[in-house]
Order: sequence, then structure tokens, then C-alpha cells
Amino acid sequence: MTAETAGAAGTAGTTAATGTHGPADTAARPALLETVGLTRHFRVGGGLSRRTLHAVDDVSLVIHDREIVALVGESGSGKSTLARLLAQVYRPTGGEIRYQGRSLATLRGRRAQLAYRSDVPMVFQDPFSSLNPAYRVSHGILRGLALHRPGLGRAERRAEAERVVEAVGLAPAAEILDRYPHELSGGQRQRIGFAQALAYRPRLILADEPVSMLDVSIRIGLLNVMTQLREREGVSILYITHDIASARYVADRLLVMYGGHVVESGPTEAVLTAPRHPYTQLLLSAVPDPRAPLEVDAAAARSDPPAVIDPAPGCRFRARCPLAVDACHALTPRLRELGPAHAAACHVAEADAPSPRASAAPA
Amino acid sequence: MAMNTPVRRPGGGLWRALRGSRKATAGAVILLLFAVMAAFPGLFTSVRDANALDFAPRLGPSTRHLLGTTALGQDIWSQLVYGTRQSLVIALVAGFLATVLSVLVGVSAAYLGGLLDDLLSMLINVVLVIPAFPLIIILAKYAGRGSLTVMLTVLVVTGWSYGANQMRAQALSLRNRDFLEAARVRGERRSYVIVAEVLPTMTSLIVANFMGAALYSVLSAAGLQFLGLGDPNSASWGTMLYWAQNQQALQTGSPLWSLAPGLCVALLGASFALINHAFDEIGNPALRPVRRRGAAPAAAAPPVDSAASDAQSEDSPLLRVSGLRVAYQGARGPVEAVAGVDLTVRRGQFTAVVGESGCGKSTLLFAIAGLLSAPAAVTAGSVLFRGDNLVTMTEKQLNALRWRDYSVVMQSAMNALNPVRTIGAQYRDAMRAHGTFTAEQVRARSVEVLELVGIDPVHLRSYPHQLSGGMRQRAMIAMALLFTPDLVIMDEPTSALDVVAQRSLMVQIKELQQLLGFAVLFVTHDMSLVRHFSDQLLVMYAGQVVEAGPTRTVFDTPAHPYSRGLLEAFPSVRGPRVELRGITGSPPDLARPPHGCRFAPRCPVVEERCREWEPELYPVGEVRARCLLQAPDRRTRPLPPVEATS
Repeated sequence: MTAETAGAAGTAGTTAATGTHGPADTAARPALLETVGLTRHFRVGGGLSRRTLHAVDDVSLVIHDREIVALVGESGSGKSTLARLLAQVYRPTGGEIRYQGRSLATLRGRRAQLAYRSDVPMVFQDPFSSLNPAYRVSHGILRGLALHRPGLGRAERRAEAERVVEAVGLAPAAEILDRYPHELSGGQRQRIGFAQALAYRPRLILADEPVSMLDVSIRIGLLNVMTQLREREGVSILYITHDIASARYVADRLLVMYGGHVVESGPTEAVLTAPRHPYTQLLLSAVPDPRAPLEVDAAAARSDPPAVIDPAPGCRFRARCPLAVDACHALTPRLRELGPAHAAACHVAEADAPSPRASAAPA
Repeated sequence: MAMNTPVRRPGGGLWRALRGSRKATAGAVILLLFAVMAAFPGLFTSVRDANALDFAPRLGPSTRHLLGTTALGQDIWSQLVYGTRQSLVIALVAGFLATVLSVLVGVSAAYLGGLLDDLLSMLINVVLVIPAFPLIIILAKYAGRGSLTVMLTVLVVTGWSYGANQMRAQALSLRNRDFLEAARVRGERRSYVIVAEVLPTMTSLIVANFMGAALYSVLSAAGLQFLGLGDPNSASWGTMLYWAQNQQALQTGSPLWSLAPGLCVALLGASFALINHAFDEIGNPALRPVRRRGAAPAAAAPPVDSAASDAQSEDSPLLRVSGLRVAYQGARGPVEAVAGVDLTVRRGQFTAVVGESGCGKSTLLFAIAGLLSAPAAVTAGSVLFRGDNLVTMTEKQLNALRWRDYSVVMQSAMNALNPVRTIGAQYRDAMRAHGTFTAEQVRARSVEVLELVGIDPVHLRSYPHQLSGGMRQRAMIAMALLFTPDLVIMDEPTSALDVVAQRSLMVQIKELQQLLGFAVLFVTHDMSLVRHFSDQLLVMYAGQVVEAGPTRTVFDTPAHPYSRGLLEAFPSVRGPRVELRGITGSPPDLARPPHGCRFAPRCPVVEERCREWEPELYPVGEVRARCLLQAPDRRTRPLPPVEATS
């Protein structure tokens, strides 16, 4: 499918961060991957107590070419489910995913499936369980090459494997490839995870909390790998994390998820300097920052995970929200644009935000 | 960074492990002997047809007839030799087929899941509870006696279910491992994932299973043949037993006719069982017998620091750790995880210990709390808690102190709390272990501590899994406060939590500490976490303290390049976006720590002498730092001799 279709779908389907009023560079670019009203429910319990867990509810997002988008939220926010929907591990309960303008539901046949998988690979959270202990490190990379780039011969596959291992900052590549996973440190294994993804010549890497199980001291190295991959290999990255500071370090845009909904989205600096949603404000205040004085309201930070099992209508953050009003209990807020390419799903934020029309005028 | 560790292959490791196992060696020798006998019976006997009635009956053992002759006039030794082949073939073929079936059913049930799993598990369980032997007899009877194929079929049909259950359990535990999900996301077909990703990780279980099935087949086949359900004219040990029983060998003075084949069955069975067990041990290290190699120092009597006898005065510290060393017995000799740590905690002080994984910070904590278990042991130094040396205390003395005077909060409350008991019941147990309390006292105190940490007391009736991660850690901290201890030791209590929950827990710990006045010893890899909460900070690297001092000072002016590296590893949510580099490389192998300064291989400001001199903790203003750059007499000091570490 072509760019025109994608662009049209983008404006019609989402108000999130398509950037119709935003900076020119985002607005002009067609969407690489886009979701429209993406929903995934799980059944929990059985028999009479059967209930529905709303892991991802009505999520519309856009990822452009060569863009790093961070998806930020706490555990239970649905961010990992969203990644698995995009990686086609789960099938959506509702809504659709469009890749280069084409709905994934229309992908027929193994070849089309493989083509998507090679364009959109995933990097997993736990470096200690994401590599098969029975094989050398090269196994996953070589298998991926054999599957997704069948044109390559044996020697070419090996050479390509060495190239991608070097591209993620591991050396000497030939020696690293012949090791077994238990001989590598957590940081090295996670780099192998990225090397595997890179071997497919991907367009978009789904990185599900790739650094959260690593030591703080080596996280930064991996974050640097991600930005380098975008610069040198031209990939887009969906970076999933609960650490808003690391999201700021790598991402162009932020999506904040809470209770299965995207509650705020926008350019990283815009969201961080003027967070509109009270949940984003809470997240920001909780980031440990040794360079800043301590300011936290312990009462607001009392955390209970959002109720996403058979949720009642209304804002899912209302129980923890210091600003909740009556409307929050009755109406589920939808994402509304509150600034240039900056949207939040909050009734209260809406009330005191500048009118979206006003900010749209000079576009 | 030097990466010259030899490449280890699991295949090579498996082979080495097998060779090292006496069980496997013994089993293999017996099996090999029988295999040679089965393949070349002519090497062992000159008799060509062992079933021919060529000799005088009931001869005793002699040089011509090693084991004598049967009541029918056959040479027992040569019957035994010729019988080996069938017994072995039955064992191997039936064992192999049963294993294939177990793997097929077990793994597909686990991996494919859903309705298929339900059906297959039901089938496995039904076959499992059917008493196998009577079934074999009935099946063999209906299928007609004699044929080897029928015998094999019967053995396979009854012999696969036990293995299938094990395979299913193992495959289920693998199913949610990320590497399988990675293979699926890569676009692999299901069949490939099962065959090439799941099975190789189950090798030792599959081999162990094969040996088990073979053992079962040997015994069952002998039993069937003994009962006359085999071919009475075949040459096998079971058939020998059948005829011996038929001719009343035991009563008529030729006991070897029965005993010899019986012994062979037992020996072959034993060889399979031995190899099976060896593989089990390799696949499951928990079964391995603990062998303490070398002279591991007894934990009960390490050298006692002279300070231990000092009477405790009013202003002496609550906790004083001096020269503490902890070593593990590793595969390649002792690994010193804590290499001489000194640390002092005063009453009401919040002390943080930070460092990367593997720097020894958790081991230090365990050593202080008296919770080390083999193969780790304190090899030197003392831990004085209110003047008493915890290192030399007996377990009983420690138990009296632990929880009442100092308590420990672990990294994962989910693992530390008992999942099948309510929070209230666990509080009750903890209190009753340290004194006699009425139900009312227990309840009052439990409610009190839960309210302290901001949890509704109704949760005394909750089970751990009914609480969120943050609440569980709070409940754990409340449990640690049941007796208002002087010291609470915390091992990364917030690392499993989200940023928001983490921050609120830290605030709460600090509030409680100020309210109740206990001291905290807090271990974390996240330096930024303790910035606003701790009074003093210890930075550990490779088993040593590399910087120690007031938290504020260390953060504002880090004196050691490692502390500086840790501090520069955090992206900030405020201020300009700058590129950070963190610390390159990884911590050294503690079995072979680098010469000189242990941080030298990763240090951005390393000098040549750093690789030769071992730095001490030098005072730098309020802090102490283990860096030659901070040595006061760095130019004039003579070179200390470099000890060769191998």
C-alpha cells in the first residue's frame, strides 16, 4: 500500500499523535506502523466467576519512519501486551494494526507473515531467558537470517551475523558468536537480542523493557546502542519502559499508558516540561533524580494497580487522582489534542488547557 | 577488556560430567560388556546352538560347563550368552520407542496446550494408573504368545506414560521462556520450535527417560517370559527362567539355572538405572551430592577479632564489621565474594551499600545477617552487633537475636512470604517464635505494624498473592518491625517495583525510620535511589569497598572513578539532554581478580602503576576512596610487592 492511504487513515482514525497540527517533520512523514482502536481482552477465571481483563483498550498510535517512540507505564498498564499485539504473538480482540498502510488482518500466507516479522522484530525483557541455553549465541541470528534472507549463502550469513554483532558494540564478533549464553553477561546478552533483531534488516524494533533487568551502570550503554541503530541502520524503535528518564534519553515522542489506555502522548520534551495528565505528573515526580532536590507527596504516590478487570466506565486513574471530578467517574476520557501534537486523556486537563483550535491556526 | 575465558560447550560439559560420575562409568562398563556379548556370542562360548539338548543333564559347574547344565541337558553359560542379545534388543528397542512416544505426547501436550493438552494429559494419567503388569499379561495373552513384535508393542504401550508426564512438566516450565517466544516472533513454525528449540534443552531428561524405559522393559520382558508369555523356544534370560521354573531347578539341585539369568537381568537393569541416575543428577544439580573440596574453613570458628571482647559503651556503634571476608567454593577454586570489608553503622543511621551485580553487596549482607549457606562461608573478620560477634554465634544464639533485635527484608517479598498462609498467620508465627504472646497481643501488634506501613488491617486475612507488589513489600517491612528492632537489613527491597511504587516505598521506609529510630542497612544497584534517604554510602566493587563516606559528599564530589561512573550512568528527566557513557566493560571474574586496582581494566583515568599497586582506602576529606590517585604519598611510597595470583 502507498503513503496516501496511510496518511488518510491516520487523520481519520486517530487524534493521538498523528501530528496534523504538529511540527512539520512529523506531519509530513507517512506512518510506518499505526494502530486504530486496538483492543485486547483476556478472560480470567472460569465458570461463574468468568471475568474480562482489559489489558489494552482502544489504543490508537502511530510510529513513523526512523523514529524512537517510548511507551511508558507501570506494570499492569498493558504496555507489554501492546508490544505482543504488534509482534503478532496475540491476536487483537478489536481494532486493527496497519503496517505501511496495510491492515495486518489482510496478511495471508506464510510469506506475507514472515515479511512482516522480519520488518518488525522484538527484543525481550529478560536477557537470561531470551537465548536458548542449548545453542551458541549465533543460533538465533543465523536462524533469523536463514528464515528472512533466504538469498544469503552459509558464509554470507556468518559474515552478516558478525556485522550485526559488531553493530551492537560487541567485539570480537567471531568469538562472541561462538559462545554459549551462560558465558555472556546480562548486558552482552541483551545486545545479542538487538543483534538478532538487526539481522533481519528491520524497519521497526519492538523493545520490551530491554534494560529494566540490567544493572543501572550498563543500561546507558544499551540505550546508546538503540540511538545508534536509528542513526546508522535507519530503524524505528518502540521502546517500552517504566523508566521515564531513560525514555527521555532516547525517545522523540512519548506515549504514557495507564490501565490499558494511552493517557498522554506527545513530543518528549513537550510532555516532560508540561505534563497534562495527572498520572504523567505522578510518574515524573517519582523518578529518582540525584541531581534534583527531593519533592514527593507520599500520599499521592501510594500505588494501587489500576482496576482493569471488568472496569466500570470512567477514568481508570480516578481512584489515585488528586484532581478527580464527577465527570471522571462517569465518562471515560478520550485523547484530546491540548498542544502541538500533544494530547492527553483527562477531563480536568482539558478544562484548563488552551483550545486545540487556537494552537492549530498558524499551521 | 580481555576475553580469554575458554569456550565451554554444553556437549563437552555433559561428557565431562558423565566421565566424572562414578555411577555413569559403572553403568556404562556393564552395558558395554553385555553389548559385546550380544554382538559376538561366539567369543564367549564354543557352543553353537545353546538350546540343543547336547549334554548330560544337571551337571555341576566345571571347566567345560562354567555354570553347569540344565535339567534338559543344555549348557547354562552359553544359554546366558545367547540370551543376552534378545534381552538387550528388547530393552533398547522398547526403551527407544517408549521414549519417542513420551516425548511426542508430553511435549506436544505441553506446547500446543488447550483442549489437546487436556485430552493428552487425561490419556497419560489413565495409562499411568492402570496397573501395568496385569495389563501386559492380558494384552500378551490376547495378542498371542511368542512373537517378539507383540512383546515390544506391549512394553511400549505400557511403558511410555511415566516419561510423558515428566516431559510434559518440563516442557510446560519451558513454554513461557522468552527464547521460545523469541523463536515464534522470529516466524518459526511450531514444529521447528518443538524439535529444534524445546527438545535440545531437554536432552538430559530425554536420555534419563530412555534409560528408565529400558530398565522397565528389561524387567517386564523377563517377567513376561518367566510367566510363559514369550516364545518358549527363544534364547533369552526370561525364557531360561521360565524353563528353570518349569523343571523345578531350585528344588532339583541346579540353582544356577535360575540364579544366573536372574542376576543378568538385575545387572542389566542396574546398568540402565545407574546411567539414568547419573543423567538425572546432571540435569538437576539439586540431586548432586554436595562435595566440599579443599579446606573450607568452618563457619563456626573463624578468627575472632580482638575487638570482640570490648565492652559495649554508650557511644559505640550498633554494628561494626571489620575485615570481613566471605568465600564461595567455586568449580575453579575459592571465589572471594567479599574481600575485607570494614563498615560501621550507628544507631538510627541509614547506610546504603551500592554496586553492580556480582560486586558482593548481597553476600556482605547475608554474612552480616548470619544467613550464609554452603558453599559460602565467612573466612575472616568479625561482625559486632551491639558488641557481640555474630560470626562466632551458634545458630540458636542467632535465632534469638534475629527478628527481635535485627530483621531482614529480602528482594522479593513474594518469595520470602509463605504463599499458602495469610499475612496474619505469618506475623503470628514470627512473634511466637520469639516469646509467648496472647492472641490479643499478637493481633494488636499486627494491626499496629500494618497501619504503620499504611495497609488496611483487613489484609491480615489476605494471602500474599492477593496483594500488589508494593503492598507485599510493605507487609514484609511491617513484619520486620514486629519487635521494633535496632537494625533492619534490606536487600534491594524495591527493585521489583515500578518507579512510582518504588519511590513511595522509599519515602515510607524513611518516615518509619525517623519515627521508630531503627538503623537501616540498605543494599541496591541503583545509586540514585538512596540519594535522598541515606546518611552514609558505601560503594562496592569486586568484593571491596571502593568509596565510603557521607552520602551527600559522595554524590557531590565522588572521589573514586567508579562512583563517578555510577553517577554518570543516570539519564535525568530535567536539564539538558546530554549523551552519557556509563561504565564500559563488566566486573572482573572474582576467581581471578585483576592485579593491582580491581577497577583498572574499566577505569577511564587508569595509569600504568594502577595495574601493579593494590590501592588502600585513602582518606579524602570526609570520605575514603580506594584509588591511587587519592593516595596522599602517591609519589614517595615504595612499591608493595605484587603477589602472584593464579
